Amino acid sequence: MTDDTDHTDDVPPRTTVSVPETIEMPRLLDFYDLQDADHTRIHEFYDRLSDGSLSTTACQDCGERHFPPRIVCPECTSDDLEYVSLPHDGTLFAFAAVRGGGPVGMDTPFVTGVVDLNGVDIQLSARIDGTDYGDLAIGDPVTLQVVDIDGPTNQDRVFYRFTPRDDTA
Amino acid sequence: MTRNAAIVGGGHADWGKREATWKDLAQEAGKAAFDDVDGLGPDDVEGLFVGAVQPERFAFQSHVAPLAAELLGIDVTKMISRTELACASGQAALRYAWLAIASGQLDVALVLGIEKMNLGDDYMEETQAGMTNVLDREFDGVNGLNAPSFFSMFAQRHMHEHGTTREQLAKVSVKNKRHAANNPYAQFQREVGVDDVLDSYPVAPPLCLLDCSGITDGAAGLLLVSESKARELTDTVAYVTGSGQSCMASNSINNLPSMSAWPQATVAAEEAYDQAGIDDPVEELDVAEIHDCFSISEIIEYEDLGWVEKGEGGQFIEDGRSELDGDIAVNPRGGLLGCGHPLGATGVSQALEVYKQFTGEVESARQVPDSPETGLIHNLSGSGSVHSVMTLARDPQ
Repeated sequence: MTDDTDHTDDVPPRTTVSVPETIEMPRLLDFYDLQDADHTRIHEFYDRLSDGSLSTTACQDCGERHFPPRIVCPECTSDDLEYVSLPHDGTLFAFAAVRGGGPVGMDTPFVTGVVDLNGVDIQLSARIDGTDYGDLAIGDPVTLQVVDIDGPTNQDRVFYRFTPRDDTA
Repeated sequence: MTRNAAIVGGGHADWGKREATWKDLAQEAGKAAFDDVDGLGPDDVEGLFVGAVQPERFAFQSHVAPLAAELLGIDVTKMISRTELACASGQAALRYAWLAIASGQLDVALVLGIEKMNLGDDYMEETQAGMTNVLDREFDGVNGLNAPSFFSMFAQRHMHEHGTTREQLAKVSVKNKRHAANNPYAQFQREVGVDDVLDSYPVAPPLCLLDCSGITDGAAGLLLVSESKARELTDTVAYVTGSGQSCMASNSINNLPSMSAWPQATVAAEEAYDQAGIDDPVEELDVAEIHDCFSISEIIEYEDLGWVEKGEGGQFIEDGRSELDGDIAVNPRGGLLGCGHPLGATGVSQALEVYKQFTGEVESARQVPDSPETGLIHNLSGSGSVHSVMTLARDPQ
Protein backbone atom coordinates (compact mmCIF):
# COMPACT_ATOMS: atom_id res chain seq x y z
CA MET A 1 0.00 0.00 0.00
CA THR A 2 1.59 3.24 -1.13
CA ASP A 3 0.49 6.83 -0.75
CA ASP A 4 1.12 8.43 -4.15
CA THR A 5 0.40 11.97 -3.03
CA ASP A 6 3.34 14.17 -4.03
CA HIS A 7 4.59 16.23 -1.08
CA THR A 8 7.96 17.19 -2.55
CA ASP A 9 7.00 20.83 -3.06
CA ASP A 10 5.63 21.01 0.44
CA VAL A 11 8.89 21.81 2.29
CA PRO A 12 8.22 22.30 6.00
CA PRO A 13 9.94 25.05 7.98
CA ARG A 14 13.07 23.89 9.77
CA THR A 15 14.84 25.12 12.88
CA THR A 16 17.59 24.07 15.31
CA VAL A 17 17.57 23.31 19.02
CA SER A 18 20.86 23.14 20.89
CA VAL A 19 21.85 20.53 23.47
CA PRO A 20 24.97 21.40 25.52
CA GLU A 21 28.14 19.47 24.65
CA THR A 22 28.95 18.95 28.32
CA ILE A 23 27.03 19.28 31.53
CA GLU A 24 28.13 19.66 35.12
CA MET A 25 28.43 16.23 36.71
CA PRO A 26 25.13 15.42 38.41
CA ARG A 27 25.82 14.84 42.09
CA LEU A 28 24.21 11.39 42.15
CA LEU A 29 26.70 10.10 39.58
CA ASP A 30 29.36 10.82 42.18
CA PHE A 31 29.35 7.88 44.58
CA TYR A 32 30.26 9.92 47.64
CA ASP A 33 27.21 11.14 49.52
CA LEU A 34 26.85 14.65 50.84
CA GLN A 35 28.03 14.14 54.38
CA ASP A 36 26.98 17.14 56.49
CA ALA A 37 24.09 17.61 58.91
CA ASP A 38 22.05 19.37 56.23
CA HIS A 39 21.95 16.22 54.11
CA THR A 40 22.32 13.06 56.16
CA ARG A 41 21.40 11.90 59.64
CA ILE A 42 24.61 9.84 59.89
CA HIS A 43 26.81 12.92 59.56
CA GLU A 44 28.49 12.10 62.90
CA PHE A 45 30.12 9.09 61.24
CA TYR A 46 31.69 11.37 58.65
CA ASP A 47 32.54 14.08 61.21
CA ARG A 48 34.42 11.52 63.31
CA LEU A 49 36.13 10.07 60.24
CA SER A 50 37.24 13.55 59.24
CA ASP A 51 38.74 13.86 62.73
CA GLY A 52 40.64 10.59 62.16
CA SER A 53 38.36 8.08 63.88
CA LEU A 54 36.48 5.16 62.31
CA SER A 55 33.20 4.66 64.15
CA THR A 56 29.73 3.19 63.86
CA THR A 57 26.44 3.10 65.70
CA ALA A 58 25.58 0.87 68.65
CA CYS A 59 22.06 0.36 69.94
CA GLN A 60 21.56 1.59 73.51
CA ASP A 61 18.57 -0.73 73.97
CA CYS A 62 19.75 -4.11 72.65
CA GLY A 63 23.51 -3.53 72.42
CA GLU A 64 23.77 -4.47 68.72
CA ARG A 65 26.63 -2.84 66.86
CA HIS A 66 25.92 -2.07 63.19
CA PHE A 67 27.89 -1.33 60.09
CA PRO A 68 27.20 0.81 58.13
CA PRO A 69 25.91 3.26 60.77
CA ARG A 70 22.14 3.56 61.05
CA ILE A 71 19.46 5.77 62.50
CA VAL A 72 17.23 2.81 63.43
CA CYS A 73 18.50 -0.45 64.92
CA PRO A 74 17.70 -3.30 62.50
CA GLU A 75 17.64 -5.77 65.39
CA CYS A 76 15.09 -4.08 67.68
CA THR A 77 13.89 -0.95 65.79
CA SER A 78 15.11 1.34 68.58
CA ASP A 79 16.32 4.75 67.50
CA ASP A 80 18.38 5.27 70.64
CA LEU A 81 21.79 4.82 69.01
CA GLU A 82 25.21 6.12 70.01
CA TYR A 83 28.45 6.29 68.04
CA VAL A 84 31.28 4.03 69.18
CA SER A 85 34.86 3.90 67.95
CA LEU A 86 36.07 0.97 65.85
CA PRO A 87 39.59 -0.47 65.60
CA HIS A 88 41.71 0.91 62.77
CA ASP A 89 43.55 -2.34 62.11
CA GLY A 90 42.30 -5.48 60.45
CA THR A 91 43.12 -8.35 58.11
CA LEU A 92 42.21 -8.99 54.49
CA PHE A 93 39.32 -11.46 54.22
CA ALA A 94 39.08 -11.17 50.42
CA PHE A 95 40.33 -8.81 47.73
CA ALA A 96 39.81 -8.12 44.06
CA ALA A 97 41.41 -6.31 41.17
CA VAL A 98 39.35 -3.71 39.31
CA ARG A 99 41.00 -3.45 35.91
CA GLY A 100 38.26 -1.60 34.04
CA GLY A 101 34.68 -0.54 34.39
CA GLY A 102 35.21 1.48 37.54
CA PRO A 103 32.73 4.16 38.55
CA VAL A 104 32.95 7.47 36.74
CA GLY A 105 36.02 9.34 37.93
CA MET A 106 37.82 6.31 39.39
CA ASP A 107 40.94 5.46 37.43
CA THR A 108 41.73 1.76 37.06
CA PRO A 109 43.49 -0.45 37.98
CA PHE A 110 42.95 -0.52 41.71
CA VAL A 111 42.32 -3.06 44.45
CA THR A 112 39.22 -3.36 46.55
CA GLY A 113 38.46 -5.87 49.24
CA VAL A 114 36.79 -6.98 52.42
CA VAL A 115 38.50 -6.34 55.76
CA ASP A 116 37.91 -8.14 59.08
CA LEU A 117 38.41 -5.48 61.76
CA ASN A 118 40.53 -6.75 64.62
CA GLY A 119 38.65 -7.79 67.75
CA VAL A 120 35.12 -6.96 66.59
CA ASP A 121 32.60 -8.88 64.51
CA ILE A 122 32.56 -6.37 61.64
CA GLN A 123 33.57 -6.87 58.01
CA LEU A 124 34.01 -3.79 55.85
CA SER A 125 34.12 -3.53 52.11
CA ALA A 126 36.83 -1.02 51.29
CA ARG A 127 39.40 0.07 48.73
CA ILE A 128 42.88 -1.27 49.45
CA ASP A 129 45.37 1.38 48.39
CA GLY A 130 49.16 1.50 48.21
CA THR A 131 49.58 -2.01 46.80
CA ASP A 132 49.09 -4.19 43.73
CA TYR A 133 46.71 -7.12 43.49
CA GLY A 134 49.56 -9.56 42.97
CA ASP A 135 51.31 -8.51 46.18
CA LEU A 136 48.40 -9.37 48.47
CA ALA A 137 47.24 -12.56 50.22
CA ILE A 138 44.22 -13.47 52.33
CA GLY A 139 45.02 -12.68 55.96
CA ASP A 140 47.39 -9.79 55.26
CA PRO A 141 47.29 -7.06 57.93
CA VAL A 142 45.86 -3.71 56.83
CA THR A 143 45.31 -0.36 58.50
CA LEU A 144 42.91 2.57 58.09
CA GLN A 145 43.62 5.45 55.75
CA VAL A 146 41.39 8.55 55.64
CA VAL A 147 40.88 9.94 52.15
CA ASP A 148 39.83 13.51 51.40
CA ILE A 149 37.49 13.76 48.42
CA ASP A 150 38.31 16.54 45.97
CA GLY A 151 35.30 17.98 44.07
CA PRO A 152 32.73 18.38 42.58
CA THR A 153 30.97 20.03 45.57
CA ASN A 154 32.22 22.72 47.92
CA GLN A 155 31.81 20.37 50.87
CA ASP A 156 34.81 18.89 52.63
CA ARG A 157 34.13 15.19 52.19
CA VAL A 158 36.07 12.15 53.41
CA PHE A 159 36.02 8.39 53.09
CA TYR A 160 37.89 5.41 54.49
CA ARG A 161 40.24 3.04 52.73
CA PHE A 162 42.84 0.59 53.97
CA THR A 163 46.53 0.09 53.20
CA PRO A 164 48.84 -2.85 53.91
CA ARG A 165 50.38 -2.64 57.37
CA ASP A 166 54.06 -3.38 57.61
CA ASP A 167 54.21 -5.56 60.73
CA THR A 168 57.85 -6.47 60.30
CA ALA A 169 59.06 -3.02 61.36
CA MET B 1 -2.67 -22.12 46.05
CA THR B 2 -6.12 -22.16 44.62
CA ARG B 3 -5.33 -22.52 40.91
CA ASN B 4 -2.51 -23.80 38.72
CA ALA B 5 -0.77 -21.61 36.16
CA ALA B 6 1.19 -22.76 33.14
CA ILE B 7 3.55 -21.42 30.50
CA VAL B 8 2.06 -22.10 27.06
CA GLY B 9 4.73 -20.52 24.87
CA GLY B 10 6.90 -17.52 24.22
CA GLY B 11 9.84 -16.20 22.30
CA HIS B 12 12.92 -14.04 22.18
CA ALA B 13 14.39 -11.00 20.54
CA ASP B 14 17.91 -11.66 19.25
CA TRP B 15 20.37 -11.09 22.08
CA GLY B 16 23.72 -9.36 21.87
CA LYS B 17 25.06 -5.95 21.04
CA ARG B 18 21.97 -4.80 19.19
CA GLU B 19 21.47 -1.83 16.91
CA ALA B 20 18.07 -1.40 18.47
CA THR B 21 16.34 0.56 21.23
CA TRP B 22 14.59 -0.65 24.39
CA LYS B 23 11.29 -0.15 22.57
CA ASP B 24 12.51 -2.20 19.59
CA LEU B 25 13.46 -5.07 21.89
CA ALA B 26 10.08 -4.95 23.65
CA GLN B 27 8.26 -5.23 20.36
CA GLU B 28 10.46 -8.05 19.04
CA ALA B 29 9.95 -10.18 22.17
CA GLY B 30 6.22 -9.44 22.32
CA LYS B 31 5.75 -10.43 18.70
CA ALA B 32 7.82 -13.59 19.18
CA ALA B 33 5.67 -14.58 22.16
CA PHE B 34 2.35 -14.05 20.39
CA ASP B 35 3.62 -15.72 17.19
CA ASP B 36 4.49 -18.81 19.25
CA VAL B 37 1.04 -19.35 20.75
CA ASP B 38 -1.87 -20.16 18.47
CA GLY B 39 -5.03 -18.79 19.95
CA LEU B 40 -3.63 -15.96 22.06
CA GLY B 41 -3.07 -12.38 20.98
CA PRO B 42 -2.77 -8.96 22.60
CA ASP B 43 -6.54 -8.73 23.04
CA ASP B 44 -6.52 -11.81 25.28
CA VAL B 45 -3.96 -10.47 27.76
CA GLU B 46 -5.46 -9.30 31.06
CA GLY B 47 -2.23 -8.78 33.00
CA LEU B 48 1.17 -7.45 31.90
CA PHE B 49 4.30 -7.97 33.99
CA VAL B 50 7.59 -6.47 32.83
CA GLY B 51 10.97 -7.32 34.36
CA ALA B 52 13.38 -4.44 33.78
CA VAL B 53 16.31 -3.39 35.92
CA GLN B 54 17.72 -0.07 34.82
CA PRO B 55 15.77 1.41 31.91
CA GLU B 56 16.07 4.74 33.75
CA ARG B 57 19.85 4.46 33.54
CA PHE B 58 20.41 2.64 30.25
CA ALA B 59 17.48 3.97 28.20
CA PHE B 60 16.44 7.08 30.20
CA GLN B 61 12.91 5.72 30.43
CA SER B 62 10.67 4.85 33.35
CA HIS B 63 7.03 3.67 33.65
CA VAL B 64 8.02 0.99 31.19
CA ALA B 65 5.16 -1.49 31.61
CA PRO B 66 2.56 0.92 30.21
CA LEU B 67 4.98 1.74 27.41
CA ALA B 68 5.18 -1.95 26.53
CA ALA B 69 1.37 -2.18 26.67
CA GLU B 70 1.12 0.65 24.16
CA LEU B 71 3.72 -0.85 21.85
CA LEU B 72 2.04 -4.26 21.84
CA GLY B 73 -1.56 -3.05 21.76
CA ILE B 74 -2.54 -4.57 25.08
CA ASP B 75 -5.60 -3.19 26.87
CA VAL B 76 -4.72 -4.25 30.39
CA THR B 77 -7.91 -4.92 32.37
CA LYS B 78 -6.60 -6.62 35.50
CA MET B 79 -3.02 -5.89 36.49
CA ILE B 80 0.05 -4.11 35.15
CA SER B 81 3.41 -3.89 36.86
CA ARG B 82 7.13 -3.50 36.30
CA THR B 83 9.37 -5.52 38.61
CA GLU B 84 12.87 -4.59 39.66
CA LEU B 85 14.95 -7.09 41.57
CA ALA B 86 18.26 -6.56 39.83
CA CYS B 87 19.33 -9.74 38.01
CA ALA B 88 16.21 -11.63 39.20
CA SER B 89 13.72 -9.09 37.83
CA GLY B 90 12.48 -11.43 35.10
CA GLN B 91 11.78 -14.26 37.52
CA ALA B 92 10.11 -11.75 39.85
CA ALA B 93 7.78 -10.68 37.02
CA LEU B 94 6.93 -14.33 36.37
CA ARG B 95 6.37 -14.95 40.06
CA TYR B 96 3.88 -12.08 40.37
CA ALA B 97 2.04 -13.23 37.23
CA TRP B 98 1.84 -16.73 38.71
CA LEU B 99 0.48 -15.38 42.00
CA ALA B 100 -2.09 -13.26 40.16
CA ILE B 101 -3.35 -16.29 38.24
CA ALA B 102 -3.14 -18.65 41.22
CA SER B 103 -5.21 -16.29 43.33
CA GLY B 104 -7.91 -16.07 40.67
CA GLN B 105 -7.32 -12.45 39.68
CA LEU B 106 -6.76 -13.18 36.01
CA ASP B 107 -6.42 -15.97 33.43
CA VAL B 108 -3.94 -14.69 30.85
CA ALA B 109 -0.70 -12.85 31.55
CA LEU B 110 2.12 -11.69 29.32
CA VAL B 111 5.47 -11.75 31.11
CA LEU B 112 8.19 -9.72 29.44
CA GLY B 113 11.82 -9.24 30.42
CA ILE B 114 13.64 -6.43 28.65
CA GLU B 115 17.04 -4.82 29.04
CA LYS B 116 18.98 -2.47 26.81
CA MET B 117 22.53 -2.36 28.21
CA ASN B 118 24.95 -1.44 25.44
CA LEU B 119 25.25 2.33 25.30
CA GLY B 120 27.98 2.14 22.67
CA ASP B 121 31.58 0.93 22.85
CA ASP B 122 32.77 4.25 24.24
CA TYR B 123 30.41 3.99 27.20
CA MET B 124 31.07 0.47 28.52
CA GLU B 125 32.44 1.89 31.76
CA GLU B 126 29.24 3.84 32.26
CA THR B 127 27.22 0.63 31.92
CA GLN B 128 29.50 -1.17 34.37
CA ALA B 129 29.41 1.69 36.82
CA GLY B 130 25.65 1.91 36.54
CA MET B 131 25.40 -1.62 37.88
CA THR B 132 27.56 -0.88 40.91
CA ASN B 133 24.58 0.79 42.56
CA VAL B 134 22.75 -2.52 43.06
CA LEU B 135 24.91 -2.70 46.17
CA ASP B 136 24.75 0.04 48.83
CA ARG B 137 26.11 2.90 46.78
CA GLU B 138 27.20 4.88 49.84
CA PHE B 139 29.31 2.12 51.41
CA ASP B 140 29.96 -0.42 48.58
CA GLY B 141 29.63 1.42 45.28
CA VAL B 142 32.05 4.01 46.54
CA ASN B 143 34.74 1.32 46.64
CA GLY B 144 34.53 0.88 42.91
CA LEU B 145 33.48 -2.74 42.76
CA ASN B 146 32.10 -3.92 39.45
CA ALA B 147 30.45 -7.30 38.96
CA PRO B 148 33.51 -9.32 37.86
CA SER B 149 35.55 -7.96 40.77
CA PHE B 150 32.80 -8.68 43.28
CA PHE B 151 32.31 -12.29 42.12
CA SER B 152 36.07 -12.80 41.87
CA MET B 153 36.13 -12.61 45.66
CA PHE B 154 33.61 -15.47 45.84
CA ALA B 155 35.90 -17.48 43.54
CA GLN B 156 38.89 -16.55 45.69
CA ARG B 157 37.14 -17.59 48.93
CA HIS B 158 35.67 -20.79 47.47
CA MET B 159 39.06 -21.87 46.14
CA HIS B 160 40.65 -20.90 49.48
CA GLU B 161 38.13 -22.74 51.64
CA HIS B 162 37.23 -25.74 49.48
CA GLY B 163 40.12 -26.27 47.08
CA THR B 164 38.01 -25.60 44.00
CA THR B 165 40.34 -25.42 40.99
CA ARG B 166 40.74 -22.90 38.21
CA GLU B 167 40.09 -25.70 35.68
CA GLN B 168 36.79 -26.61 37.34
CA LEU B 169 35.62 -23.01 36.93
CA ALA B 170 36.61 -23.13 33.25
CA LYS B 171 34.62 -26.32 32.69
CA VAL B 172 31.41 -24.47 33.58
CA SER B 173 32.09 -21.94 30.80
CA VAL B 174 33.03 -24.67 28.34
CA LYS B 175 29.78 -26.57 29.00
CA ASN B 176 27.48 -23.58 28.82
CA LYS B 177 29.10 -22.02 25.78
CA ARG B 178 28.84 -25.37 24.01
CA HIS B 179 25.08 -25.24 24.54
CA ALA B 180 24.90 -21.60 23.45
CA ALA B 181 26.70 -22.49 20.23
CA ASN B 182 23.45 -24.22 19.27
CA ASN B 183 21.11 -21.51 20.49
CA PRO B 184 20.16 -19.07 17.71
CA TYR B 185 19.35 -16.11 19.97
CA ALA B 186 22.47 -16.44 22.18
CA GLN B 187 25.00 -13.59 22.27
CA PHE B 188 28.02 -15.94 22.18
CA GLN B 189 27.52 -18.80 19.71
CA ARG B 190 31.07 -20.13 19.75
CA GLU B 191 32.41 -23.18 21.53
CA VAL B 192 35.52 -22.74 23.66
CA GLY B 193 37.93 -25.11 25.37
CA VAL B 194 39.36 -25.04 28.88
CA ASP B 195 42.59 -23.47 27.60
CA ASP B 196 40.64 -20.72 25.82
CA VAL B 197 39.05 -19.79 29.14
CA LEU B 198 42.35 -19.90 31.05
CA ASP B 199 44.14 -17.88 28.36
CA SER B 200 41.49 -15.16 28.14
CA TYR B 201 42.14 -11.76 29.73
CA PRO B 202 42.26 -11.95 33.55
CA VAL B 203 39.52 -9.37 34.09
CA ALA B 204 39.43 -9.92 37.84
CA PRO B 205 41.68 -12.80 38.94
CA PRO B 206 41.02 -15.62 39.38
CA LEU B 207 38.21 -14.88 36.89
CA CYS B 208 39.05 -14.45 33.22
CA LEU B 209 36.98 -12.83 30.49
CA LEU B 210 35.42 -16.17 29.45
CA ASP B 211 34.32 -16.78 33.05
CA CYS B 212 32.01 -13.74 32.72
CA SER B 213 28.59 -13.26 31.17
CA GLY B 214 28.20 -10.42 28.71
CA ILE B 215 26.79 -6.93 28.58
CA THR B 216 23.73 -7.77 26.57
CA ASP B 217 20.76 -6.16 24.87
CA GLY B 218 17.91 -8.63 24.90
CA ALA B 219 14.30 -9.42 25.63
CA ALA B 220 12.08 -12.45 26.14
CA GLY B 221 8.36 -12.89 26.51
CA LEU B 222 6.15 -15.74 27.63
CA LEU B 223 2.45 -16.31 28.09
CA LEU B 224 1.34 -17.66 31.46
CA VAL B 225 -2.26 -18.79 31.75
CA SER B 226 -4.60 -20.55 34.15
CA GLU B 227 -4.83 -24.35 33.95
CA SER B 228 -8.31 -24.27 32.39
CA LYS B 229 -7.13 -21.84 29.73
CA ALA B 230 -4.00 -23.90 29.11
CA ARG B 231 -6.05 -27.02 28.46
CA GLU B 232 -7.97 -25.11 25.74
CA LEU B 233 -4.75 -24.10 24.01
CA THR B 234 -2.22 -26.91 23.94
CA ASP B 235 -1.24 -30.33 25.24
CA THR B 236 2.27 -29.72 26.54
CA VAL B 237 2.75 -26.92 29.03
CA ALA B 238 5.04 -26.04 31.94
CA TYR B 239 3.16 -25.67 35.19
CA VAL B 240 4.65 -23.58 37.98
CA THR B 241 4.83 -26.01 40.89
CA GLY B 242 6.82 -24.08 43.47
CA SER B 243 8.51 -20.75 44.09
CA GLY B 244 10.74 -19.50 46.87
CA GLN B 245 12.82 -16.45 47.68
CA SER B 246 15.20 -15.48 50.44
CA CYS B 247 16.97 -12.31 51.55
CA MET B 248 18.76 -12.43 54.88
CA ALA B 249 18.43 -8.78 55.92
CA SER B 250 21.46 -7.90 53.84
CA ASN B 251 22.36 -6.16 50.62
CA SER B 252 25.60 -4.37 51.47
CA ILE B 253 28.79 -6.43 51.29
CA ASN B 254 29.33 -5.37 54.89
CA ASN B 255 26.47 -7.64 55.99
CA LEU B 256 26.56 -10.68 53.71
CA PRO B 257 26.23 -14.00 55.58
CA SER B 258 29.07 -15.57 53.57
CA MET B 259 31.43 -14.95 50.65
CA SER B 260 31.71 -18.59 49.58
CA ALA B 261 28.13 -19.76 50.08
CA TRP B 262 24.61 -18.56 49.43
CA PRO B 263 22.47 -19.81 52.30
CA GLN B 264 19.68 -17.73 50.76
CA ALA B 265 19.68 -20.15 47.79
CA THR B 266 19.17 -23.04 50.17
CA VAL B 267 16.20 -21.35 51.86
CA ALA B 268 14.61 -20.41 48.52
CA ALA B 269 15.17 -23.86 47.03
CA GLU B 270 13.82 -25.71 50.05
CA GLU B 271 10.68 -23.58 49.92
CA ALA B 272 10.19 -24.31 46.22
CA TYR B 273 10.98 -28.04 46.63
CA ASP B 274 8.50 -28.25 49.48
CA GLN B 275 5.73 -26.64 47.44
CA ALA B 276 6.50 -28.91 44.48
CA GLY B 277 6.78 -32.07 46.58
CA ILE B 278 10.40 -32.62 45.59
CA ASP B 279 12.30 -34.72 48.13
CA ASP B 280 15.48 -35.47 46.18
CA PRO B 281 16.24 -32.71 43.65
CA VAL B 282 19.11 -34.56 41.96
CA GLU B 283 16.86 -37.56 41.39
CA GLU B 284 13.70 -35.66 40.54
CA LEU B 285 14.84 -32.64 38.47
CA ASP B 286 15.55 -33.24 34.77
CA VAL B 287 16.64 -29.77 33.70
CA ALA B 288 17.80 -26.63 35.52
CA GLU B 289 18.48 -23.12 34.31
CA ILE B 290 20.62 -21.57 37.04
CA HIS B 291 22.32 -18.20 37.38
CA ASP B 292 25.85 -18.55 35.94
CA CYS B 293 26.59 -14.83 35.81
CA PHE B 294 30.17 -16.01 36.44
CA SER B 295 31.54 -19.55 36.30
CA ILE B 296 32.01 -19.65 40.08
CA SER B 297 28.32 -18.90 40.60
CA GLU B 298 27.17 -22.16 39.02
CA ILE B 299 29.56 -24.19 41.19
CA ILE B 300 28.33 -22.56 44.40
CA GLU B 301 24.73 -23.08 43.27
CA TYR B 302 25.21 -26.86 42.78
CA GLU B 303 26.00 -26.89 46.48
CA ASP B 304 23.51 -24.45 47.91
CA LEU B 305 20.57 -25.65 45.83
CA GLY B 306 21.13 -28.88 47.73
CA TRP B 307 22.56 -31.09 44.98
CA VAL B 308 25.95 -31.88 46.55
CA GLU B 309 27.69 -31.35 49.88
CA LYS B 310 29.27 -27.94 50.50
CA GLY B 311 32.64 -27.73 48.79
CA GLU B 312 31.93 -30.44 46.22
CA GLY B 313 30.53 -28.19 43.50
CA GLY B 314 33.78 -28.27 41.55
CA GLN B 315 33.69 -32.05 41.53
CA PHE B 316 30.05 -31.96 40.30
CA ILE B 317 31.09 -30.26 37.03
CA GLU B 318 34.29 -32.27 36.77
CA ASP B 319 32.33 -35.53 36.99
CA GLY B 320 29.97 -34.42 34.23
CA ARG B 321 26.94 -34.54 36.49
CA SER B 322 25.56 -31.25 35.08
CA GLU B 323 25.95 -32.22 31.42
CA LEU B 324 22.92 -32.82 29.18
CA ASP B 325 23.11 -36.55 29.92
CA GLY B 326 24.18 -36.08 33.55
CA ASP B 327 22.18 -36.18 36.79
CA ILE B 328 20.64 -32.75 36.11
CA ALA B 329 21.07 -31.05 32.73
CA VAL B 330 22.22 -27.58 33.78
CA ASN B 331 21.86 -24.57 31.51
CA PRO B 332 21.07 -26.29 28.19
CA ARG B 333 20.03 -22.82 26.96
CA GLY B 334 23.68 -21.78 27.22
CA GLY B 335 23.37 -19.97 30.50
CA LEU B 336 24.24 -16.37 31.11
CA LEU B 337 27.80 -17.24 30.08
CA GLY B 338 26.66 -18.21 26.59
CA CYS B 339 23.42 -16.30 26.02
CA GLY B 340 24.57 -13.11 27.69
CA HIS B 341 22.70 -11.46 30.53
CA PRO B 342 20.20 -8.75 29.64
CA LEU B 343 19.36 -8.32 33.30
CA GLY B 344 15.57 -8.15 33.28
CA ALA B 345 15.17 -10.72 30.49
CA THR B 346 17.23 -13.59 31.89
CA GLY B 347 14.68 -15.12 34.27
CA VAL B 348 11.93 -15.04 31.65
CA SER B 349 14.25 -16.68 29.13
CA GLN B 350 15.23 -19.40 31.59
CA ALA B 351 11.60 -20.33 32.27
CA LEU B 352 10.83 -20.32 28.58
CA GLU B 353 13.79 -22.66 28.00
CA VAL B 354 12.40 -25.15 30.51
CA TYR B 355 9.05 -25.04 28.68
CA LYS B 356 10.75 -25.54 25.31
CA GLN B 357 12.73 -28.46 26.72
CA PHE B 358 9.42 -30.04 27.77
CA THR B 359 7.92 -29.58 24.30
CA GLY B 360 11.11 -30.68 22.54
CA GLU B 361 11.29 -27.53 20.43
CA VAL B 362 14.95 -26.67 21.09
CA GLU B 363 17.85 -27.46 18.74
CA SER B 364 18.63 -31.18 18.93
CA ALA B 365 22.26 -30.59 20.01
CA ARG B 366 21.08 -29.05 23.27
CA GLN B 367 17.88 -31.03 23.85
CA VAL B 368 17.89 -32.78 27.21
CA PRO B 369 17.41 -36.49 26.45
CA ASP B 370 14.51 -38.72 27.49
CA SER B 371 11.69 -36.17 27.44
CA PRO B 372 12.34 -34.01 30.50
CA GLU B 373 9.30 -33.49 32.70
CA THR B 374 10.58 -31.45 35.64
CA GLY B 375 12.68 -28.32 35.78
CA LEU B 376 13.96 -25.47 37.90
CA ILE B 377 15.03 -21.90 37.34
CA HIS B 378 17.25 -19.97 39.73
CA ASN B 379 18.47 -16.39 39.89
CA LEU B 380 20.62 -14.52 42.32
CA SER B 381 20.49 -10.75 42.42
CA GLY B 382 22.57 -7.84 43.62
CA SER B 383 25.40 -8.94 45.86
CA GLY B 384 23.89 -12.44 45.83
CA SER B 385 21.88 -11.12 48.73
CA VAL B 386 18.65 -12.43 47.22
CA HIS B 387 18.04 -15.84 45.67
CA SER B 388 14.90 -16.78 43.75
CA VAL B 389 13.97 -20.35 42.80
CA MET B 390 11.00 -21.62 40.79
CA THR B 391 10.12 -25.22 39.93
CA LEU B 392 8.24 -26.21 36.78
CA ALA B 393 6.68 -29.49 35.63
CA ARG B 394 4.76 -30.90 32.68
CA ASP B 395 2.05 -32.15 34.98
CA PRO B 396 0.22 -30.11 37.58
CA GLN B 397 0.46 -31.36 41.13
